[in-house]
Amino acid sequence: MNDARLWLAGLVALPGLVILVSFLRVEVEPLRRLAVTSAIAMLLAALIITVSPTLREFSMRTSAFTSMSGGEAVVRVDTLSAALLPFAAGLWLLTVAVTPRASLDRRGLRRTALATLITLASFLTESAVVLLVLSLVSVWTFLSALEDPAHRYQRRVVAVYLGVSTLLFAAGVALLVGPGVRNTARETVAMWCIGIAALMRKGIVPFHAWVPEVFDYGRLGPAILFNAPQVGAYMTLVLIVPRASPDMLRLIALLALGTAVYGAALALIQTSARRACGYLFMSQSALVMAGLDCTSVTALAGGLLVWLSAGLAFAGLARCVLVLEARRGRLDLTTYHGGYERMPVLAISFLAMGLACTGFPGTLGFVGEELLVDGAVDVFPVMGFAVVIASALTGLAVLRMYFSLFCGRPEVRAHPSLRLGLRPREAWTFVALVTALIGLGLLPRPLVDSRFDASEEILRVRQERVSSRLLSTDLRNGIRPQR
Amino acid sequence: MTLGMPSIPLTVLVLIGVGSPVLLLAVLGVASVVNRPLPERWTGPLAASSMALACAALFVALTVYGITSAGTQLLSYGTWSTSHDGGIAIEFLVDRLSLAFAALSTVIAGVVSAFSNRYLHREAGYNRYFVLLALFVVGMLLVALAGNVAVLFIGWELVGLSSALLVAFFHERPAAVANAFRVISVYRISDAALLSAAVLLRHVAGTGSLALLFGGGAASPTALTTTNATIIALLLIVAVACKSALLPFSSWLPRAMEGPTPSSAVYYGSLSIHAGCFLLLRAAPLLEQAPAARLLAGMLGAVTALFAAITTRVQSDVKSSLAYASLTQVGLIVVEIAIGWYTIAFIHLAGHACFRLLQFLSAPNVLHDLHGLEEAMTDHSAADRGMVTVLTSDRARRRLFLIALERGFLDSTLDRVVVEPFNRSARLFARLDEWLCGAVLTSRRPAGVDGADRDE
Repeated sequence: MNDARLWLAGLVALPGLVILVSFLRVEVEPLRRLAVTSAIAMLLAALIITVSPTLREFSMRTSAFTSMSGGEAVVRVDTLSAALLPFAAGLWLLTVAVTPRASLDRRGLRRTALATLITLASFLTESAVVLLVLSLVSVWTFLSALEDPAHRYQRRVVAVYLGVSTLLFAAGVALLVGPGVRNTARETVAMWCIGIAALMRKGIVPFHAWVPEVFDYGRLGPAILFNAPQVGAYMTLVLIVPRASPDMLRLIALLALGTAVYGAALALIQTSARRACGYLFMSQSALVMAGLDCTSVTALAGGLLVWLSAGLAFAGLARCVLVLEARRGRLDLTTYHGGYERMPVLAISFLAMGLACTGFPGTLGFVGEELLVDGAVDVFPVMGFAVVIASALTGLAVLRMYFSLFCGRPEVRAHPSLRLGLRPREAWTFVALVTALIGLGLLPRPLVDSRFDASEEILRVRQERVSSRLLSTDLRNGIRPQR
Repeated sequence: MTLGMPSIPLTVLVLIGVGSPVLLLAVLGVASVVNRPLPERWTGPLAASSMALACAALFVALTVYGITSAGTQLLSYGTWSTSHDGGIAIEFLVDRLSLAFAALSTVIAGVVSAFSNRYLHREAGYNRYFVLLALFVVGMLLVALAGNVAVLFIGWELVGLSSALLVAFFHERPAAVANAFRVISVYRISDAALLSAAVLLRHVAGTGSLALLFGGGAASPTALTTTNATIIALLLIVAVACKSALLPFSSWLPRAMEGPTPSSAVYYGSLSIHAGCFLLLRAAPLLEQAPAARLLAGMLGAVTALFAAITTRVQSDVKSSLAYASLTQVGLIVVEIAIGWYTIAFIHLAGHACFRLLQFLSAPNVLHDLHGLEEAMTDHSAADRGMVTVLTSDRARRRLFLIALERGFLDSTLDRVVVEPFNRSARLFARLDEWLCGAVLTSRRPAGVDGADRDE
């Protein structure tokens, strides 16, 4: 079983199986059980790929879409993607395990499996063309989740923002493929197109307005599954970081830092729990973006780590809101809802995941943010202060949500006969997620080391490209390299 | 001051001292997360024995340190987060001051733990209380012994979070929750100021070692320019002012009295409120390098002491009265540090922490025995009234009384100057975001859409 192809085929087959079965006349609950089992199997398989050195050095290359010598990897597993595979599987497991029974139908289960498949495939490729195709399918899947008339407005908002983003991405990819692009003005234009596309997809200010709107009035579940994996960050890492100029990276990082503070500040004053989640997501994903656009190994490793921790913690936090909504309806943050005694596991999980989002000590987020600040402080000191402010505001926003959703005395008390507590499936999923976030926060070394290896590799590729660019500029200017 | 070679017994003893509450936190925390809290008959003795072990280990460590007189030592327990550069090192800076404060913390926490075991008997949040107490003790020990900025910050954050969650201990009371949010808001400013100081330290000095701030080792604050030292010291003073409720951040202190009495005793009577003073004491070499910051600290301390001394006289409940009385002493301790009387400041700190702990813990008993004593507490002696009468006119006395009664109008000022402008501008941007969506589509969101529908 040392063939990586077999393992990867298995990974892809599991959500594929759920998609196929969802077309059959199967009841929802057995289908959900199949989805949960598949997600657990996928998580285990992904973890095995991550820890096995032989399985995570695999690539299938082609020259069909590029003029690069040796082609580009259409499918590959390396240090960077190895940790992203369990991340995608974990998000799927979280989705199918805790979504309330009344809220999940066969189409929904199919859509979650398809979204996971797309995320997985995205993390397995570094081909711009393949990423573009996957991005198109992903946006279409998200839009299809908003097709009911009640969400027509949000569907149009998403269609406009993500439509423009996809068009820009397509234009960038079109400029990028073909011979003789490297180190030319065409490549620079392509980078700007792809860069703006990634900023729109990640909801970076000023391209962010769709994010809170979709979280608040759209459908929260598909919004989490679409946003939490942060495919926009992956696009940036694979396509932009190796090629972009330092000025462009700095501009993106500055926009991202502004977004991190902006999102955290606005999350603090929201009256709707969903909208607060939207702004929190913006803030956290912007921190990831800022780390990725910083050309320091430590900051980049921090960014990669925050990507995983914030993605998991945020998805868990937003799922907690969904679980509460299933029991209480829309959640308003201007009042105290109470309920700690009824659902202590949910309350503790919410707090723990919220704190992980803010980079609280003892969670994985702390290590990530620490590295981010530590690495950036020399090359980009303003990042350190921005992270500090964003973290302080995010912490307040999370605690405000916690106090509002779980403390106080509810105005209307449910009848004691109603079972409003968590189901065991939900409780164990949240406990497992909290354990993972705290466990990896207390014993982070293997994961952090792997992120360092990944960031060193990314910056090595960038360095090679920058050197070749300098060389070609010199040649154009008539300067010959000295022997 | 130079760093001595770390001795093995000291390394082991400090590890036991810190490890024991960490273990307690792990046991109680895991039980809470899986919703299987330990029964009271186990939790109480477990907490007491853990605190006793930590206390014994730290006192022995202090004795060993005193006997060997080895100078300041940096105990390193390896790099925790990564084997690459930039990992978080677990380092403790051990000297007489840090060991004494750590030992004092465990003594006080042990006393409070034993007291709470009976005081909170059959209380719904009994287990939660002990989890938060363990979290607090771990935080205090890390603050006391921190050898680098990361460890200090971890401790600082743990103290802040546990404090806010204990203020909201009776979480079915809206007032308690609202006050907890106020407390954590000020604590977050403190965290941000401390972390900003750390960021600046790393930027200008290229290190996160506290030896640079605290004057241990070859590195000393003289390695910093006066401007840099002043900026870092000012940030530290903001962090300290928020944590120790110095002016203008004093308004959270009476709000924090919503928590159970033992937690008020350990936080706002004895330990947490002194954490800021301790940090200032540790950073004394840095303050000496920054005279402007030192002067500011002294003035803050003096004004706070005066304000708290006046305010405490008109409080209508015993806990608030005691809290402001504590603040008076905290202000004086800060003045002592600013003057440079470090030994006196530490003796004052330790003595006051123990004395105030006793006062806070005995307050419920006194109230239980004598209903209406709260009023009596505000009925100060005739000598007091006489002195105030001699020194002030009627009108001034009335104004002073109003200021004291309204606790210096700090809350309303903070609301007007910080909270309201922040909320107003954030709301403006939120409306702008909504407008942006509408502008893109040249349409408005249909009314009555609430979004809480079928989701996956």
